[in-house]
Amino acid sequence: MKIDRRSFLSLAAGVAAGTALTPLPLKLTDDLSIWTQTFRYMPNEVPVPPDGAVSVATSVCSLCPGGCGISVRKIDNRAVKIEGRQGYPVNNGGICTLGLAGLQLLYGPWRVQEPLKKKEGGFEKISWDQALSEISGRLNDLRRNGKSPSVAAITGAGQNTTGRLLQRFLTVFGSPHFIRIPAVDDSLAFAAGRMLGTAGVPAFDFENSSYVLSFGSGLLDGWGSPVRMFQAHSRWKENGATLVQVEARLSNTAAKADVWVPVKPGTEATLALGLAHVIVRDGLHDPAIEAAGKAFDAFRELLKSRYAPGAVARQTGVEEPKIEKLARDFARSPRPVAVCGKGAGQDPVESLEAMAVLALNALAGGFNRSGGVRINAAPDYIHWPEPEGSAAQKSNGTRLDVHRLPELINGGAQPPVQALFVMEANPLFTLHGAPALAGAVDKIPLVVSLSSYMDETAAAADYVLPVHAYLERYEDVLITAGLKEPLVGLSRPVVKPKFGSRHAGDVLIDLARAMGDDVAAAFPWENFEDCLKQTMADKWDVLSDQGYLAETGPEIPAGGMNFAALVESAELQPPGQGENGAWPLTLIPYDSMRLWGGHIGTPPFVLKTVADTVLKQADVFVEVNPVTAERYHLADGRPAFLETPAGKARVRVHVTDGIAPDVIAMPRGLGHAAYDDYLAEKGVNINALIGPVEDPVSGLDVAWGVKAKLTTA
Amino acid sequence: MSNHGKKYGMLIDLDKCTGCGSCMVACMAENNVPFKKDESNKLVSITWMRVYRLTNGKPFPDTEICYLPRPCMQCEGEHGHSPCVSVCPAVATDYDFSTGIVSQIPTRCFGCRYCMAACPYHARYFNWYDPIWPKGMKESLSPHVSPRMRGVVEKCTFCFHRYQQAMEKAYYESREELEENEYQTACTQACPAGAIIFGDLNNPDHTVTRVVGPDDAHGGRPKNPAVFRLLERLGTNPKVYYTSTREWVRRQADNDAARGENAGRH
Amino acid sequence: MDSALIPEGVKRCPLPLFILGVLAVGAVLLWGVYAMLLCWIKGLNQTNMNDYYGFALWIWADLAVIALGGGAFFTGLLRYLVGKDELKNIINFAVVIGFICYSSALLILAIDIGQPLRGWFIFWHANVHSMLTEVAFCLSCYFAVLTIEFVPLVLEQRQLNKVTFFHHLGHNMHEIMAVFAATGAFLSFFHQGSLGGVAGVLYGRPFAFRESLLVWPSTFFLFTWSAAACGPCFTILVTKITEAITRKKLVGDPAIHTLAKISGWMILTYIMAKTIDTVYWALVTAPEGGFTLGQFYSHNAFYGYWILIAEVIVGGLIPALILISEKGRNNPRMLVLAAVLACVGISINRWVMVLQVMAVPVMPFDTWQLYIPSWQEVATTILPVAYGVLLIAFAHRYLPVFPQEKELNP
Repeated sequence: MKIDRRSFLSLAAGVAAGTALTPLPLKLTDDLSIWTQTFRYMPNEVPVPPDGAVSVATSVCSLCPGGCGISVRKIDNRAVKIEGRQGYPVNNGGICTLGLAGLQLLYGPWRVQEPLKKKEGGFEKISWDQALSEISGRLNDLRRNGKSPSVAAITGAGQNTTGRLLQRFLTVFGSPHFIRIPAVDDSLAFAAGRMLGTAGVPAFDFENSSYVLSFGSGLLDGWGSPVRMFQAHSRWKENGATLVQVEARLSNTAAKADVWVPVKPGTEATLALGLAHVIVRDGLHDPAIEAAGKAFDAFRELLKSRYAPGAVARQTGVEEPKIEKLARDFARSPRPVAVCGKGAGQDPVESLEAMAVLALNALAGGFNRSGGVRINAAPDYIHWPEPEGSAAQKSNGTRLDVHRLPELINGGAQPPVQALFVMEANPLFTLHGAPALAGAVDKIPLVVSLSSYMDETAAAADYVLPVHAYLERYEDVLITAGLKEPLVGLSRPVVKPKFGSRHAGDVLIDLARAMGDDVAAAFPWENFEDCLKQTMADKWDVLSDQGYLAETGPEIPAGGMNFAALVESAELQPPGQGENGAWPLTLIPYDSMRLWGGHIGTPPFVLKTVADTVLKQADVFVEVNPVTAERYHLADGRPAFLETPAGKARVRVHVTDGIAPDVIAMPRGLGHAAYDDYLAEKGVNINALIGPVEDPVSGLDVAWGVKAKLTTA
Repeated sequence: MSNHGKKYGMLIDLDKCTGCGSCMVACMAENNVPFKKDESNKLVSITWMRVYRLTNGKPFPDTEICYLPRPCMQCEGEHGHSPCVSVCPAVATDYDFSTGIVSQIPTRCFGCRYCMAACPYHARYFNWYDPIWPKGMKESLSPHVSPRMRGVVEKCTFCFHRYQQAMEKAYYESREELEENEYQTACTQACPAGAIIFGDLNNPDHTVTRVVGPDDAHGGRPKNPAVFRLLERLGTNPKVYYTSTREWVRRQADNDAARGENAGRH
Repeated sequence: MDSALIPEGVKRCPLPLFILGVLAVGAVLLWGVYAMLLCWIKGLNQTNMNDYYGFALWIWADLAVIALGGGAFFTGLLRYLVGKDELKNIINFAVVIGFICYSSALLILAIDIGQPLRGWFIFWHANVHSMLTEVAFCLSCYFAVLTIEFVPLVLEQRQLNKVTFFHHLGHNMHEIMAVFAATGAFLSFFHQGSLGGVAGVLYGRPFAFRESLLVWPSTFFLFTWSAAACGPCFTILVTKITEAITRKKLVGDPAIHTLAKISGWMILTYIMAKTIDTVYWALVTAPEGGFTLGQFYSHNAFYGYWILIAEVIVGGLIPALILISEKGRNNPRMLVLAAVLACVGISINRWVMVLQVMAVPVMPFDTWQLYIPSWQEVATTILPVAYGVLLIAFAHRYLPVFPQEKELNP
């Protein structure tokens, strides 16, 4: 049959019409709409999360010093949600932003996936064997050349088993330079040591306090164990307790406080002693303290001569009647407590401030009393045999202070530090004068970072050894920060390790083994889990079943408080920085629950909660009082240059009444250069604009504010 | 009890709320809310639970701040005639009379955004962008809430999937009623301050009902004078209640032209 | 070259000149199509809309073109049902304009929704309580009616008309056009009204909300009325523009003046109703929601009382007064001025009822939200204009749109 044009066209038209009458077009339309539910096979395909068996694993969060109990919901082997653990003594079901977003840290793209070695312009992947043999080889070289003390280690982990393994490693290697990133606890412990003769961390029984006097502590901005603080705050609301916040900025803590006392930054100790003046002058203090305390008369004399309300008012900017009233209210309240440690409490404070706060608590009779303070002896559950042989003898000399690292290294021709280990810390971001530290670290021939994340310090290291993320490992989590009784929590693997990481403890044990000799002999454990179980010994079962151990030590009485230490500190305290034309403003950092300034970067979910008056695209805002803004011609939302003696940065201005005139504030936790593009290159790292300030008494870096100027861009 | 519907509601204590943002993050993590590299444009940032920052407008040092978490208000309107439900052309959002929850079906929604225009609380969010999870992050997605595709509206559902799961469990255990704590939203559970109370407003034993004292004759208006709702005058009859001891906060909950309140605030 | 296609006895510009014009407008059209594709492929993030501002420029354009396209149904109503016979000279063109307006509106809706491939859910899963559902149904049906009204005009094209079947089909369709005009008028009444209802039912938005008459908010009636009132002005305006471009008189004065007079009275009555509605809203409805009128027009950089005056006085009362006076509408300049003002007035009304609604803060701690459209939105909004110009150009050149053309241009 011949098909002509006409019949072909007719056929085609017939087929088209016939098809149109079938359900096919409808079906295709429907299929198309179903396809729009996932855009399958397209780059923008919407995932369909696989379903599976639901289970719940419990653990302890170690992302901040808070140590909350967590319940992790799992679908098969995937962790899909973190919740607060009901009944856990720290947080009883509550949980903070960071803890909630923890899975983004576990599954996020910023994890280091296998051992990396620095090479020209980046990193190359290497095997664990190669990494450990190269590092141990270089360490043994140093040791052979008698340079054992030139090895240092910085860690945020502190006094738990992993931290102590690192310390032990250094000790047997022959170096005293085991450096913990200092925090306010160190200042408080130092002050307690000087005034009470026993170094222990003061702990505050906030829940039962009737009057909380906070010297800039961000009690609701991440201080101590944040969730515990929120719960304490809710109790204050229920039982009518008073919260007084002494701070130049209307932080969330100040916003929730019953009384907000804006004070000139850096004069907190002066105000505390001014209050002490009124209390002692009016005889409102606990007579037992005066009777049993040492050098109380010298203290009284100091208060009288230097801290009269008039003088204090001039220095602090707090009006005289207000000082009088604060002092009386504090002293007359049934269960008052005073606390210090600015922001989240991750920075040491001036010794004088810490001592003044301890003195205030003592004057109020608050030691070892409900709603007051008690000094807790450091938990002591790790008892390992002293390492034998030659190694043990070599560990002597003075410990380095981390803020001194740049001047030490830059000072001499031969850097005193030849090798640096960094574990669970990101000093190149979190420490004051971060750029100077980065420059110094750059000169250290061997830098090894044990980290789960590609943070700034890892990015600058010669070797990055990926350690298990917090949800992949066993860890004894020592919780002292702001808890009324210290606790050891047990972090345990919630999911199988996702990448080629190892437990930091295992890395240290393996490294010791690779080094051989007495170093290896000091690490007799098979692996970290074995080490932890042996360390906990008969406590392991309780720890494992319950998830925590209470480690309450004996009470330390405050009756014999030695005020001489405080008087000496007051003498040593450098005079406050005067007015300076070149630097007319004071820049202070602030901490917030929505931005994390520690070694853990802010995960995307949390970053999403940051207000657009804090971060807009890549710009961070500096809070400026309207009066200041007018004086320096700064307009809300406009760009400006922020300059301090340590550096200069481009910022934007946020004009707000929530800050004192002449004080400007900027958040911590922004300005990351590492991590990934969800977090990196946003805002400015305020630690780069603040140089370290050494406390003349404790030697700790106690910088908080810095002189600054702000000019329109 | 079992033969009359439930009406889930929430009470947020603004005195206890510290503005920490945990409710927001708990919600995101629970409900597979997507995130972008830049979330600083809050007008296109999906936060089912959003914490507003209120200020009393006074100069330093008399300035005060109050944080106000705002989930979907689950408006009842009059007899389920919530502002958004009645306008949706495709029944992609509906008022469930058995729970009082305003549902949202993203796969039904075709993205006309009429419901967003209708909602005075800005509780509805549009997926302007394709939801993209960075490599590996898809592993943390929960199968209990489907991720949404671009071009649809999403909002807080009072974690309705949790209700379903609790009901399933009760069913297997041959129970018809849920215990108060069996069904709680993710934000309620997470709030470290315990500022959120959640429960069935039709159940007189539930804490939220005891504190609020919803007046059913007046669309659930609180009988407790310390408790208030947002935009009470509009008649949206939300089931999210607030309480605050601060007078200026209570005043900012609603417009009051007659008293000249807030007339100049906008 | 294309003379065989051009209706007999009329003059058209040379083909190259025509093509040049088509290319120029076509370039604009392509720009719009490009923007449209961006919105479809990349999504609505191409616009500057946001969660506070879910309706934007093109939704205003959508409402405006539907209002302006109201000339088609109202002229049809007057011509076929009321029996204003002189309007037969302009009815064809009114239908063409209506067709353009309604097809554009549908296109805009297809771009506007986030999931265009699911757009049919509005029919399949229809929620009968939603004003938008009513809009979608009536709009689609009325577009079908307009197409049916448009078809005979196409069939009268010189070459097509030679086909006997087409000739008879066209003729017969003309015969029953009154039925479609009636259907169209009915459908139009409802969808113009439901478009008004879209804003009026938003009881969570005190700026938009209006109290009900029967089951509909007052804006339901105001929208229908205003579209009927101002639509003819748009028909007149486009006719005048077409006449100016072609340099020919295309429609006789009696048709124009009849339409203008009716339009004038419609606008006047509409403005009276609108004023009553506004006063009631300002004094009763808004205060019940806790608002004062001043809140809607202050504390922002754009929306002031001027917009109310521009809409009601300049775009309403003034054109109404011009058109109802014989002197006014007989003066060609005044007539065009009045038509322009009326079109502007109704466009402002639609803007206010869609965009200002989004801008006004409702929660006391909210702030005004002003918005600037992205170029993609502007391009997609201009797209229908370019499309309309092209369709009119082709219709004028090849179809016997203007029955009086031969007689007026001997």
